[in-house]
This record gives sequence, C-alpha cells and structure tokens, in this order.
Amino acid sequence: MSKKKKAGTSLLYQLIGEARGYDDVIIMGRGDPDFDTPPHIVAAAKDAMIHHHNDYTPPQGLLPLRQAIAERVKRVNNIDVDPESEVVVTNGGQEALFLMVLAVTSPGDEMIVPEPNYNTYADSLAFAGGVKVEVQTYAETDFRADPQDVREAITDKTRSLLLVSPNNPAASVIAPTDMAEMLDIAIEHDLMILADDIYDLFVYDDFQHVSPASLPGGKERALTLNALSKAYSMTGWRLGWIVGPADLMARVTELKAAVSGGASVISQYAGIAALTGPQDAVEMMAEAYRRRRRMVLDALDEMGMKYGMPQGGQFVFADIGFTGLDSAEVAQRILTEQHVLAYPGSAFSKDRKDYLRMTFLQPEDQLMEGLERMKVAMDNIMAEKK
Amino acid sequence: MASNTKSAILAQHRANADLNTPLLPQVARDDSDLAADGMCAPLDERIIAAASAALENGQTHYVDVPGIGPLRAAVADYLKSVAGAHYRAGNVVITAGVQESRFLSIQMIGVQYDSIALPAVVHPGVRKALGVRGRNPRTMPVDPAQGYLPSIDAIVQAAADGCRLFYLESPSRLSGAAYAADEVAAISQIIADNDAAVIWDQGLASWVEGAYASAAALDSDCARAAVIGEAYSGMGLASWFVGYIAAPEAWVSSMQSQKQIMAICTSTASQYAALEAGQLYTEARGRQLSRLARLRTDLLGAAGEAGLTVVGGEAVNIIALKLSEDNMKKISRAGIDFAAGSLFGAPDVIRLNVNHSTAAALTALN
Repeated sequence: MSKKKKAGTSLLYQLIGEARGYDDVIIMGRGDPDFDTPPHIVAAAKDAMIHHHNDYTPPQGLLPLRQAIAERVKRVNNIDVDPESEVVVTNGGQEALFLMVLAVTSPGDEMIVPEPNYNTYADSLAFAGGVKVEVQTYAETDFRADPQDVREAITDKTRSLLLVSPNNPAASVIAPTDMAEMLDIAIEHDLMILADDIYDLFVYDDFQHVSPASLPGGKERALTLNALSKAYSMTGWRLGWIVGPADLMARVTELKAAVSGGASVISQYAGIAALTGPQDAVEMMAEAYRRRRRMVLDALDEMGMKYGMPQGGQFVFADIGFTGLDSAEVAQRILTEQHVLAYPGSAFSKDRKDYLRMTFLQPEDQLMEGLERMKVAMDNIMAEKK
Repeated sequence: MASNTKSAILAQHRANADLNTPLLPQVARDDSDLAADGMCAPLDERIIAAASAALENGQTHYVDVPGIGPLRAAVADYLKSVAGAHYRAGNVVITAGVQESRFLSIQMIGVQYDSIALPAVVHPGVRKALGVRGRNPRTMPVDPAQGYLPSIDAIVQAAADGCRLFYLESPSRLSGAAYAADEVAAISQIIADNDAAVIWDQGLASWVEGAYASAAALDSDCARAAVIGEAYSGMGLASWFVGYIAAPEAWVSSMQSQKQIMAICTSTASQYAALEAGQLYTEARGRQLSRLARLRTDLLGAAGEAGLTVVGGEAVNIIALKLSEDNMKKISRAGIDFAAGSLFGAPDVIRLNVNHSTAAALTALN
C-alpha cells in the first residue's frame, strides 16, 4: 500500500529500515564498503585527538589536507589546482555533490543528467530549484551516455551538464573520446560541468576514466568532486572535496560555510594520512572488488539476468524485466523472503523499474550466500509467474 | 574562452550579501583571537579513549542519518536537564555542528511558512544560511538595553503582521543576554495563540549560571518549538563539529531527509566522542562555569574602571562591549581579533571570548 507509493530516497529508507530487522540480512544495497578503515588512518586520527583536537579549521578545510588533495587530483586525475584557492573540503562526497549543484544552479536552470543516476542529484537539484533534463542510457550499450543525445537535450535554459564516471548505479565509464566530445559540447553551449569522480579508482578491464577538468578548456568550467569514503573505506568519517577554478570555488567556500561551517578536524587529519600514507590497502580493496564483480556477473549469468557490463564502480545494474514485476516489488520480495537487500532501479530513476542495483561490498562468502538466496527468490517469482 | 554562464553565476553570487557574510571561526586561531564561537578546551582522556575504541571496533562506516541512537537519547536527556525540554531521542537530529543545525532548521522548517522573523541582531550564520536560497526574512527590532534581544512587543508585532515562524537566540549570540522565565512564557503564549512556531537557538545556555528558561520547556507536546545548539560546549569538541536539533517529529522527518541529501550522516568518531562527553559534562560544566564566571567578573570590573560600556548578558563565556569609534580603532590596531557586532547587525558592539587573554584586550582600550 503506502510502501509501494514510495520512491527515491524514501523507498530506500523503507527497505533499509526493514533490513535492520533481520539478523541474517545480507546487504547488497548501500554503497558502504565492508572493509574497515586501514589501521594507519585510524592511528592518525587517534594522534590528532591528542595533538590537534582544538585546531582551527577554516570552512574550506585544513591547508595540509587541501595540499594532499591537490597532489592526489594531479597524480590520479591530471587536474592542476592551487590548494590555497581551488580546493574545498566537504563532509563527504554527499555534501560535495549538494554544494556543487547549489553552486551552479538558480531556480529554473536546467541540468542535463544522463540516466540512470544517483538519486541525490535529483534531490539536490530540486532543493536548488533547478530542473533535471534526462538523457537516457541503455543496458544494450552498457549505459553509454551518447554525446549526440546530450546535444539534442540542450535548451536556452540549460546551464550545466552532469558527468558521473564511473556512473552510479549503471557502472558505466565515459570513454575518453566521449568525454572530449562532452567537453566540446559544454564549451560550444557555454555549460558548466559537474564531474563526479568518486569511483575513479575502481575501473575494470581496459576501460579508462578521464576527468573532464583535465582536458584543455575543461578546468575553467568544471567542478569535480571526490571523497575518501569508497577508496579508503571511510564512509563514516564524512570527508570529501570539490576542486575547480578559483572564482567558482570562492562561491563553493561560502556555500560550504553557510551549510555546515567546516569538517571535523579529526577526520581531516585522518584524510591527510589516507592520501599521503601507504596505498596498498586501496589496491588490496580494488583487487577484491575485481574478484567479487566477477562472482556477481557469473551468478547473474546463471540466473539469466541481463546487465550492462559494469566498467567501474562497486555495483551491477541488472535487468529484472523478465519477472514482469516492478523493481520495488522485486527488491521487497528478495528482502522479505530471503533477507537480501538490493536497491530497486526505481529509486534511481522512474524509468528504471526493471532494474536492481547490487553492490559487491560484502566478504566473498556472504556475497555468494546473498547471490544464492537471491536466486531462490527469483526462482520463486518466476514459478509464480508460470 | 570566457564563460558568460559562469560570469552570470558569479555576478549573482557577488550580489548575495547574506551568503557572503563572513562566518566566525569555531575555535580561536591563536592566543590573540577572541572572536571564535567555540572554546578551546582540554579534551578529557576518557573522550579520546571512547572515540578511539569506537574506531578500533570498526565504527568507521555510515551510521543512521539522524545520529547514533545513544547520542540522540543523551542529547534529549541533556535538553531535559538544562532546559526542561520534553523531547525524546526520536525528536533529535545530530548535526555536523551548529551551523548545519541553523541551515537545516531554517531551510526545512522555514519552507513550511510564508515568512520567518529574525532579530535585527543575530548570529551571522543565520543570514548566511538564509542566503543560500535568497530568502528575505522579516526583521524584528531589538533593544540594546536588553542585550539586543527583540522585545516581547516586537514579537507580538511580527505575529500581528502575519509572521508565523520565529528565529530567536537565547542567550543572544552577540551579548549573551537571555530571556527571563516570564518573557519565555510570554513568547510561548504568542507562539501558541498565533498557531506559530519557533526555532530557538540555545547553544549558549550552557554558559548561563543559575536557572535558564527555554521555549522548549513550555512546548509540552513538542509541537511548536525546535531547539538548536552545539553538543556539549566546552568539552574540547568545537573542532569536531557536533551539533543538534530537537524538534517535533514531523519536522525531524523532513530535516532527516534533507540531512541524507546533504551529508548522509555526521562523523562517526565525533558522535562517539560526544556520547562520552555527555557522560562527563555535568561535572566539567560546573568547574568551567565557576572559572569563567570569576574571570568575567574581573573583566567587568576592569571594563568599568576603563569607562567602557558593557552590554548586559548572562552567558559567562563572552563579554560584549559598546565602543566609540576611537576605541573601535584602538582595538583593531592592537591586533586583537574580536567578533565584530557589524556581522550580527550591531556595528558599535564587539564580542570577546572570556579567557586568559581577554584582559589584555581591555588594556588596549585604556
């Protein structure tokens, strides 16, 4: 009844709430890595509690952290930024996303959003009074965002273009040639670019991620977000960042100050340790995700589910259209009957009622168990259909 | 190639004076900084131990959007003890500091009302939060003789003008002046009579000696008052950014949804530290209050001897002075950082934190 009417974030809340009630639940929904934060980062936080707990931190973040971020985005993304004026530290990638949308959107402005996409973009855009203009992508083409579709969606109210690569939930990576064309379109139509690089360390096979701000003419019109949550398993620390041109970042800084003031000084010192310390834990986690991705794809193949090949990220977006049921109903049944939480596609886009998003952020034995249970649920659904 | 789109965004931004209001630092930058909202304070080893243990036990992941359950319950208990509030854990949202509390409450409660009435003198973070969506508040005149709080008459007038949402600070973030119990009762009556609501910033209530009156205490069915503030001020957590909102459950629901959209949750380590701080708070607060009250009494004496006009206030952690132009120049030349009253709306007033450096600031005015 009322459960079925919920959508987007509310729908996810409802499922998460129910999942909490099951002792044996296997979570394949929320994007929270199962690994704990690496010990050297925790040690740095403990040290900060003793030596830096009263440090003043400006709204844009501690300078040593901004310097570490500047070095990181140069090394990984090939983006040159001045840590003094072109970096703002945020309370996680989520606040970065919110601020980025606020920074470029006035009421009535249109943002072009390749769909499906992370539901919070729509929520943030609604808060800012902006209008989402969807450009659809499809599993058959591995959810590739076609630059020509973007071009055709532009109106005289279009102000910005959202480029999330690897994409959440579809796990597609924008190819370098497509990214260059997207930037050309943005320049030609004088659009701002919002780039979400949060999964940039998790790109599979031979796919390649390119940040639009790294391309000629890109930096001046692009705000790029990232966070420590996914790469360093630091979701609870709430630490992310935005980089961009100094003039726009001055606005982002004021917005950050208005929305929350600053970020926890302890998290910031932990962030410095994460970015400047040993990176072997990141590689270990990336390797685990590569293995798990293969496990999930093999299981989906066995269940006869179709999907766009996940080129990056930490999830698979699978087609459950063959059940004839809405994804919210399928997710509900998998949860209720088998205690496995997967997110319905309708939470990400109203046009994706035929999809489920499954994360591979569980230890491999639990992941395997979750997939087996999911198969039981799907078999039950199909048996009823017959 | 220059971007007209960007130029338009920046022009609009520059014109937004509210959003560009400077925010005061959360703690002092150095010994000469008396401008901060929060206090540099030692961090009890038990707080460090509790936060460390949480991290070592794997509390490094997302937690519930409105905060960890035990901290929400502890804040509800705290509000009951200091202000006689009737909130339960389900009424509490843990925020990433008091500025997030301001933003969430103003934006998400504010959206339900046609207008919001603010004191003409109010913390700059309030106008900054309003500036994000460019909302124009209705301003209530304040009385310098009452520590720059709006008078009851001013609140009555705003209600008569049709305003149904009020933002009030008690104690004032500039002067430390707090409404007396009879005034709070009158305000609560105005709110009830007009089917109105109030966002009540009581962050400085921790620093009031003796009885403190809160609008939340008179809102027995938790229907009309949201209170906001810092969690456990003076416990060394100012730079950890932990705040709270306690509000009617219907408002909590919308603020929780917005919190999910803009931050997902508040730092886990900060929350576990605050939880432990809450256990130690009563004892620590007593010691700090006595120390600050003594310091402030000495400062009031020194200010009197120097012929300075002190703005009356009950919060012992700050002292506000009304200064002549000459004295304003003197204190600026002395290199002392103060919270300028102009940021609050009172250009001839400054606010100084009460600590071991404050006496030197007064000396500069001799």
